Amino acid sequence: MSELQADQGAQALDVPQPHAKTRRNRDVLIALAAFVVLALLPMVFSSKFLLDFVIRCAAYGLFATSLNLLVGYTGLTSFGHGMFFGLGAYGFGLMMQKTGVSVPVAFVATLAITFVTALVIGAICVRLKEIYFAFVTLAFQMLIHSTILSWVSLTGGDQGLRGGIPRPPFWGIDLSNHLHLYVTSCALLVIGLFLMHQIAQSPFGYTLRMIRDNATRASFIGIDVWRAKLTIFVLAALFASTGGVIMALFVSGAYPEFAYWTISGEGIFINMLGGVTTFLGPMVGTVLLLILNDTVTRLTEYHGLVLGIVILFFAIGLRKGLMDFVIEWYAQRRDARGK
Amino acid sequence: MTRTRKPGVSRRATLAMMGAGAVTFATPWVARAQAKTIKVGMPTILSGRVAQLGTSSRNAVMLEVEKVNAAGGLAGRQIEMVIRDSKGQPQEAARVARELVNTDGCEILIDAEASSGAFAVHEVARDLGVLCIHTNSETSSLTADPKQHIPNAFRTARQGVHDSIVGGSYAAAIAKAKGLKKWATCSPDYAYGRDTTGEYVTYLKRFAPDVEIISESWPKLFQPDYTEVVTKILQAKPQALYSCLWGGDLTSYIDQANIYALFSQMEVFAVNMADYTALTVVKNLPKGIHSGNRYIKTYPATPENAAWGDAYKAKYNEYPTNWSWENATAIMLLAEASKKANSADGKKIAEALRGLKIKSPFGADGTVTMRAEDQTLVGYAIGWGTTIPQEPYVPQVQAGDWKTIFELEAEWKKSKGYT
Repeated sequence: MSELQADQGAQALDVPQPHAKTRRNRDVLIALAAFVVLALLPMVFSSKFLLDFVIRCAAYGLFATSLNLLVGYTGLTSFGHGMFFGLGAYGFGLMMQKTGVSVPVAFVATLAITFVTALVIGAICVRLKEIYFAFVTLAFQMLIHSTILSWVSLTGGDQGLRGGIPRPPFWGIDLSNHLHLYVTSCALLVIGLFLMHQIAQSPFGYTLRMIRDNATRASFIGIDVWRAKLTIFVLAALFASTGGVIMALFVSGAYPEFAYWTISGEGIFINMLGGVTTFLGPMVGTVLLLILNDTVTRLTEYHGLVLGIVILFFAIGLRKGLMDFVIEWYAQRRDARGK
Repeated sequence: MTRTRKPGVSRRATLAMMGAGAVTFATPWVARAQAKTIKVGMPTILSGRVAQLGTSSRNAVMLEVEKVNAAGGLAGRQIEMVIRDSKGQPQEAARVARELVNTDGCEILIDAEASSGAFAVHEVARDLGVLCIHTNSETSSLTADPKQHIPNAFRTARQGVHDSIVGGSYAAAIAKAKGLKKWATCSPDYAYGRDTTGEYVTYLKRFAPDVEIISESWPKLFQPDYTEVVTKILQAKPQALYSCLWGGDLTSYIDQANIYALFSQMEVFAVNMADYTALTVVKNLPKGIHSGNRYIKTYPATPENAAWGDAYKAKYNEYPTNWSWENATAIMLLAEASKKANSADGKKIAEALRGLKIKSPFGADGTVTMRAEDQTLVGYAIGWGTTIPQEPYVPQVQAGDWKTIFELEAEWKKSKGYT
């Protein structure tokens, strides 16, 4: 582990580019291009399956990438990140079912709820290191999961939020229209990834990498490590929560499984598949996992076996995620050419 | 390691891969054009703790589909089942259901999901408007709550509230006859366990007002060790015990309680006992446990029912489960409704299903009815009896009275604000 981290550090601590502004402009262009491509997809392929697939990618992608801000960038291996995914789904679903506010209001309110919850849980958790941090986050996740299960009058217990999530049209967007839902999910995904990338590339993002590599040193330089960790914990929670909102819209409900530890496990799995040293690793991992899941469950009910073998291949065979592997391979190739 | 081949993906290979990707996404729509057969999609649980029940659902469906196809299919179209695993996760159930309809071109859904998964598929049915038959969810609100109601969704499963009414009145009669006043309950700690136990106790007290509950235990779902629960109940010294533990939980509980001779010290009412998955697995099945019928080939005691159970056993080398008859009923109703509507169109079948009464081996009087007002199954065989340690396991089943069920169900609906 330490060797691996040292490697990451060496790569990630490349000197940031001096022209932050041009860089940001480039990111904006890339984000816009990505959004346009995604939004045009339904015109090229008329398959509803593709739309469903991209919507789920948006939900899991935001969740997994936000987890990578903790795991890959800050070295905080959270086993309880799924609680914010569930919180997003339940917060949004309940808000729409019980209060009858408009979609944007419910969305912002959900983020506000997540913010407060993450602040409280984070304040307790980020003081801890490594395995202790992992387990306390897991404990909080189970606390939230149990609360959802037992607060039947509000959450519907283990049956979940039933009766569908109402979605009155707003700003000309009607989320009960599948195409509108698709474009909205793509927009949330692209905006989310853009913002997370800005966070990762900002001075704050580099502070996080420093904390990951040597927290003691960071605090000696005068960085408030606790505050930095808490900030990223809360930010990551907000993006995970957005993923949960998309999922709630997709299934038109919220279920306790969304806040169960298996969702956190899937997040970690996605990060292992895609790789934690690149920003887009988790996104690639998401696409991989969902393709694997969808094709394998079509073919056999022994999907657990297949997925297990795949994860063994990545963990023992490649010893890194796919994106890490590709980047290294590309760098090697470039070096070889240079010579 | 040395590389034997030049690294890198050629432009041609990249194009080929992109092309392949595009084809993968586009092909299902080609397949849909040729619709001579009718595809029926079925998300169910084929892996994990309840895989056995999902498999038994699939078995029963295939058994019936073969018969329907041999008789000409649905309005001349052969049924092709597309059955997929949802792993018991609601988001997967929703995804699989959408995929079955949107990509595989299924025109009807048999939703063989439990609890939350059924509600997830229900939302898919609401969204896509496809004909959907819930076959496994026994949660009463799925059809009783008008907010859930959609014209294209039906249920062919038993219902929690029916079970409670019959169970409560049966237990009350015995409580009065034997003077059982002090009761304990022991049920799994989740919605099904809590709700079912609550309703059962309500009806028990209604019919036998001097019953009192002196001890409640709520073991976790899939709990391996029941020692503390068993000792707690023994210490409370109740005269009778109610439990809605099921499957592996129930069998572990009985095996462990047997060590403490619990069954000789009180009358035990275990609603989920009389299912072959439990009856055949318990090491020493105690005599005299009261149980509701789940699926048992001796009740209804008709040749049709026995023949159905034997045919299933002959084909799959095990007895059917509660989920089996519920799924078989869905196919029987579909076939009959399609015949009546003379069409395989979902909307027309739905129209024909409302109020449809068919002959059934699982009917209390040889028939079952799809009640029109809430689109759920009524008139199925429901009753209670006591166990013996060997086949036929539950020799005598006392039938529940559907007239009473209807009256009390209407009252229950009113109390919940459903009507």
